[in-house]
Amino acid sequence: MAFAQNKTITGIVTSQDEGFAIPGATVKLKGTNQGTQTSNDGKYSISATDGSVLVFSFLGYETKEVVVTKNVMNVALRLSSKQLGEVVVTSLGINKAKKTLGYAQTTVKSEVINQSAPNNPFGALQGKVAGVNISNVGGSAGGSTKIILRGYTSLTGTNQPLFIIDGVPLNNSTSGSDTNFDFGNNANDIDPNQIDNISILKGSAATAIYGSRGSNGVIVITTKKGKSGKPVVDFSSAATITDVAFVYKPQDVFGQGWDSHFVLGENGNWGPKYTNLLQPWGAVVNNTQLLRPFSFIKNNVRDAFDHGLDLNNNISISGGSDASTYLFSYNNIHSNGILPGPADKFSRNNFTLKGSTVYKNFSADASLNYVAKNGNFVATGQGPTGIATTFYENLLQIPGSIPIKDLRDYKNLYFNVDNYYTPYAENPYYSLNENGSHSKSDRFYGNINLNYKVTNWFTLNFQQGADISNMGNRIWFNSNAPTPGSWVGGGNTEGQSRKPDVGSVEEDNFQNYEYDSKLQAIFNKKFGSDFDFNGLVGTNYNDRGARSHGSTIEGLAIPGFFNLSNSSNKPTAFETESHRRLLAFYGQATLGYKNYLYLTVTGRNDITSTLATGNNSYFYPAANLSYVLSEALGLKSTTVSYVKLRGSYGETGSDTDPYSTLNVLNSTNVPLGFGNLQFPFAGVPGFSIANTLYTSGLKPERVKEYEVGGEFRFLDDRLGLDLTYYHKIRKDQILNVPIAPSTGYASQLINFGEVKEKGIEIALNATPIKTSLVKWDFTYTFSHNKSIVTSLPPGLKKVLLAQDGYGGQFVAVAGQPLGLLQAPVPSYDPQGHIIVDSQGYPIAAADNGTYGNFQHDFVMGFNNSVRVQNFTLGFTFEWDKGGKFYSGTADLFNFVGADPKTLYNDRNPFVVPNSVQRVTDASGNVIGYKENTTQITEANVDDYYYTTSNKAQAWSRDILDRSFLKLREVTLTYSLPKSWVNRIGASKASFGVFGRNLITWLPSGNHVVDPEVSNYGTDLASEYGEFRTAPPLRFYGASLKVTF
Amino acid sequence: MKNRNIKIKSIFILGTLIVSFGCKKITDINTSPNNPSIDKATPQVLFPSGVLSTAGRVGGELDILGGIWSQYWTQSVAASQFKTIDAYNLQRQDLNGSYNELFSGALADYQLAITKAKAAKLDNFYLMCTVMKAYTFEVLVDLYDKVPYTEAFQGASNLNPKFDDGYTIYKGLLAEIDAALASGYATAPVVAADSKTDFLFGGDMDKWRQFANTLKLKMYLRMVNTHAADAEAGVRALYAAHADFLDDDAVVKVFIDATDQRNPIYAYTVFNLGANDLRASNTFVSWLRANNDARIKNYFGTNTPTPIDQGFYTATQAQHPSYYTATAPAFAATDPVYFITKAESHFLQAEAGLRYGVTTPKTEFDAGVTAAFAQYSLPAPTTGVYVYPNSADLQTNLKAIIYQKWASFPNSHTLEAFFDQERTGYPENSAIYSLDAGYIPGQWVYSKNGVTAGRFPKRLVYPDSERSRNTNTPPEVPITVPVWWGIPNK
Repeated sequence: MAFAQNKTITGIVTSQDEGFAIPGATVKLKGTNQGTQTSNDGKYSISATDGSVLVFSFLGYETKEVVVTKNVMNVALRLSSKQLGEVVVTSLGINKAKKTLGYAQTTVKSEVINQSAPNNPFGALQGKVAGVNISNVGGSAGGSTKIILRGYTSLTGTNQPLFIIDGVPLNNSTSGSDTNFDFGNNANDIDPNQIDNISILKGSAATAIYGSRGSNGVIVITTKKGKSGKPVVDFSSAATITDVAFVYKPQDVFGQGWDSHFVLGENGNWGPKYTNLLQPWGAVVNNTQLLRPFSFIKNNVRDAFDHGLDLNNNISISGGSDASTYLFSYNNIHSNGILPGPADKFSRNNFTLKGSTVYKNFSADASLNYVAKNGNFVATGQGPTGIATTFYENLLQIPGSIPIKDLRDYKNLYFNVDNYYTPYAENPYYSLNENGSHSKSDRFYGNINLNYKVTNWFTLNFQQGADISNMGNRIWFNSNAPTPGSWVGGGNTEGQSRKPDVGSVEEDNFQNYEYDSKLQAIFNKKFGSDFDFNGLVGTNYNDRGARSHGSTIEGLAIPGFFNLSNSSNKPTAFETESHRRLLAFYGQATLGYKNYLYLTVTGRNDITSTLATGNNSYFYPAANLSYVLSEALGLKSTTVSYVKLRGSYGETGSDTDPYSTLNVLNSTNVPLGFGNLQFPFAGVPGFSIANTLYTSGLKPERVKEYEVGGEFRFLDDRLGLDLTYYHKIRKDQILNVPIAPSTGYASQLINFGEVKEKGIEIALNATPIKTSLVKWDFTYTFSHNKSIVTSLPPGLKKVLLAQDGYGGQFVAVAGQPLGLLQAPVPSYDPQGHIIVDSQGYPIAAADNGTYGNFQHDFVMGFNNSVRVQNFTLGFTFEWDKGGKFYSGTADLFNFVGADPKTLYNDRNPFVVPNSVQRVTDASGNVIGYKENTTQITEANVDDYYYTTSNKAQAWSRDILDRSFLKLREVTLTYSLPKSWVNRIGASKASFGVFGRNLITWLPSGNHVVDPEVSNYGTDLASEYGEFRTAPPLRFYGASLKVTF
Repeated sequence: MKNRNIKIKSIFILGTLIVSFGCKKITDINTSPNNPSIDKATPQVLFPSGVLSTAGRVGGELDILGGIWSQYWTQSVAASQFKTIDAYNLQRQDLNGSYNELFSGALADYQLAITKAKAAKLDNFYLMCTVMKAYTFEVLVDLYDKVPYTEAFQGASNLNPKFDDGYTIYKGLLAEIDAALASGYATAPVVAADSKTDFLFGGDMDKWRQFANTLKLKMYLRMVNTHAADAEAGVRALYAAHADFLDDDAVVKVFIDATDQRNPIYAYTVFNLGANDLRASNTFVSWLRANNDARIKNYFGTNTPTPIDQGFYTATQAQHPSYYTATAPAFAATDPVYFITKAESHFLQAEAGLRYGVTTPKTEFDAGVTAAFAQYSLPAPTTGVYVYPNSADLQTNLKAIIYQKWASFPNSHTLEAFFDQERTGYPENSAIYSLDAGYIPGQWVYSKNGVTAGRFPKRLVYPDSERSRNTNTPPEVPITVPVWWGIPNK
């Protein structure tokens, strides 16, 4: 053949520096008028002959010419100006040029996610992104990570962002978790090593395309894909040592005892001052006793814990031909936490298989992931009464002179069930070793993605995703009974005996499923030389739900045997099912003018199954505008390299849980205060009107948000600033509003209430030093968010968000900042004196007082990277300032006289300062006040610090300042020189040492607990504080990464 | 080109199918598989629920309140759960649970059951539910003075029910009982399957009539101080109509030692709180000892209980070593919960006879004492305080009756003793503490740690759960002010 034959050349255009596919890039046949544009996934197809030249261009990238040699020509373009060319992942997993976005968007890259080898995707992001608050609420491996974008606006609904992985929603449930156990949140299951990047969309304009699931922001995770070429093997291995980051610091003046006397069997520090003299302690066993100085033991609490070890090993193999790619990866996490023994062991295995292929105009890709988790978790909080006690509560109740470390030998004659030193608590190591829980889960998630390119500017896309998990949890508490007459069985000096623990076994199963189907048509076209257009229309069908069932027995017949058969009691069982569907139609269109002005409009209509028919279809519109000023004005100077202004408005929503529109009955359960009566009784079933009153007129919660901002780059990109101001209103909140019991119900589910949120986010990037030897980059982030409750239902003074067991509450009050901590306060006479009762204790006022709110004044991050030749040093600080939280640890810490605050007046008798007593008439009415002279006697100083006997002042010691400054991360990475690496047949290798959560600084009033920990879940309620939960962890380790 | 059109067409058709079928189906899945809908409620499932709700609270947390305030028990020195009760330091955050459960649990269920029973012409359930409603309401009225009644249980249509005064509620309840008694309950026998749902009498409607009459008698006698004419007319009407009263216990005996099936006060104080809190009070123990009352072993598990003087939980071991080995009340998981005992029925009749001559008080008093001891399989003593004085002085006779009632109530329904004292003044309030020389055993002493300046508690303050949600909640009244039928403070 003399003439070269025309054939169809296809391929994908990517960014060489970023690795993203570039949508809208121009592909031209050199010397002709023929040309096309790449689709939204960066793909093109053009007719050409072998030997002809294709010209690839895209604004912000260097133009590239390529000679046609084969049918598939993949091209990577190099950045010319970073900001103009940056391509990012947006909602629905669609890549767009960042300059076209009219809203704030932040991308976090794989290196940042993995540089300190955390075992979940979010562990290393703390303090790095403005407006993203990440905390590890529990100290255990496999425990939950709390992620909140901007702030909280939903009072009682969810504030959790939506997680999208490769275009498909990801289940982020926390099945089975409560204040006793944290079995982790499901988003933590993603193998961080396989993440290419995480795109964080905070505002409603960015997320409106997710409609009723987009109101709390969206976290879009894109995973790595195989690339054409020879097989690449990536291997990484990290070992991390964990230990306790922060423990409470007891006072070291007064020792064991109660009522200011030394008492051998007491669990408090209300005794005499330490003498440092040798004396007997603990139980009298066979007329013998242990001896040790009556002195405070330093580091006693810290020594209760061990070091833990986390191993994180990962291997992936990827590659492909011109038309097809593959990727296989395996990640193994193995962890044994800081508690002695296997009580907090955790392992996770992730397998990923991915592939893609192109055939003519048709392309397909798929991914399948399997996650197997296996973990032991230790109970926090208050143990189930009558059944068992918990490690952390028992630990708190050990006086300062008792060597906690020795108690590990919990079967020792002096530390066993019969002869533990006190009848008021149990040996914490008994709780640790004899009680426990095990959680095992299997999870599959993945997607199939089919594309058909109808014409150059029109592609059809179908995506089917699934996320299915099955989790089985077992929780056991061993039974024990102190022998009557033994030290714990009444033989102690006070004659008190500890009641037996009857023990229990609980078996629970949780199944979660989510199927997501999406059919969409994607358009991408240029009109003339000035206008370009891209857009899509689609429909989405989502079906998700959960099934759970469980059984519990109480009262073990044979101690130490944990099976539902092992009791004379019948098991109590539960089952619940939750199923919902969402059908949506959506569209999005971006119109660009002359490469500097972009208008995007989106709309979505949702039809939900959880609301009543006729009331369940809702539309969510949004629009955003981006104006690249530097381009429009033709600014080409190096001083001002890039200026973009942006503005947006969007509406999103949040529908309610299933089964919330019809009134129901419950199988009767009568709460007794302590304990319950549960039907059936004597073979008779009982059903009772449910306490919540439902209405069929329920609507979704609606969020309206506008946002303005700008991106500025100076000095050849060495200085950058990103500013955002947002204003968000969430109205029609779905509230379970308490109503007077005399209505026959306890609460009513209604739409009412509005929360307004305003905030600013600043990110400042700079490269102060840039030489061939040394480069220092830093990012400073600042965010300030204030949420105000603007209205509540008439007559409703507050919405209860959380509460402790004693009377303190976490509430929303109209006109006040969201999340007030309200608790008993003293009552005062008109002159402002504290009113005390006839015993000299302050009288609690009739109404709770406000101690503050949980919101930080600001959150700052300072994130650095200093490269010196092959060494890179990174370090990150986070400073969260302001706000309050409740500590249940502080409550018990005061009760046992360990808090340094209990040293007031050297524990001598005192009259409550500035106090008066009431003068009353015959019928008890107050007619005046007189000066109080009644002392809190020496023997009663302890009562002054109990929540029960001095309710008025207890919370002033338990509600603490939430501020902290943390050294979040330090990493030191050494990239091995190429010459060495090549010698072992590798292409890249690096070695690193790192630490996370290394140093914590707390304000002086807080000796008790890290404000980040909580066992009140991972949503708004968790901001109330904690109830005797596990301490936070510190990590330090080393990692090796090799690419072959 | 043709093929492509077919593809687009089929996708469009698929889309249309999803829309048309999907929309309909989508809303079909929102009926809860977890809970029956409310229109499936029947009296057969609501009534036993209500009965155990009443029993769980009146025989649980409120039994603790009544037991401490009637000075059977006091707070132990080694724990602190009930200090606020023992110090008369109850505030609006306290005891919310019992108020909530009795209103939105027991009473709401009785009310719906009455509606359902009337509609289904189940007059037997109508009577049973009405009597239990009245019994439960009376507890609330006697503790709180005024509560919502005429506007209660209206759900969303009235979120702020007004409070009715106690007298109005009493009259309303009495009228409701009369209406139920006038129904065809006697000719509507309880079918065998339903008789199991009656934990009190197994569907014996004669006993329900007796329970109704005894309850009416109790309510009329409550009014002797402040509505003497109503009280007298009511009691006389009962006798004129030859009303029959309980000669059995109105009692719930379904508790077993199994998870969530235990006697409420046992589950609360022993199983869950480890029996660390309640201890024998010297007030009651001293009276039992002074009268050699054999029930001491039934009440405290030993013939020689070690008591604590009322409210002296702050004593140190050096001050009062015996307090640290004080005896706990003898509760068992299988104990029944009494609503009205046979003994109480007879003591009520004795008082009716004493006041109005409608029956012979001595006969009823003796029957009461016999029944009270028979409750513990003991022979009734025949000397001392167990003998009816037959005095010309009403107060002397009344005192004998009320002391015997007081001695019969612990471990069953202690609140009644507290109400009796507020109504009659017996046992008397002691001017001195029980540690002082000259203390008369059995007289109530002011709690050592009382915070009400020497005044005894007479009522509860409204719980925060009602006050903060119902704008019609009346202003707070000190807990030392008697309720509407109590002997007014001097």
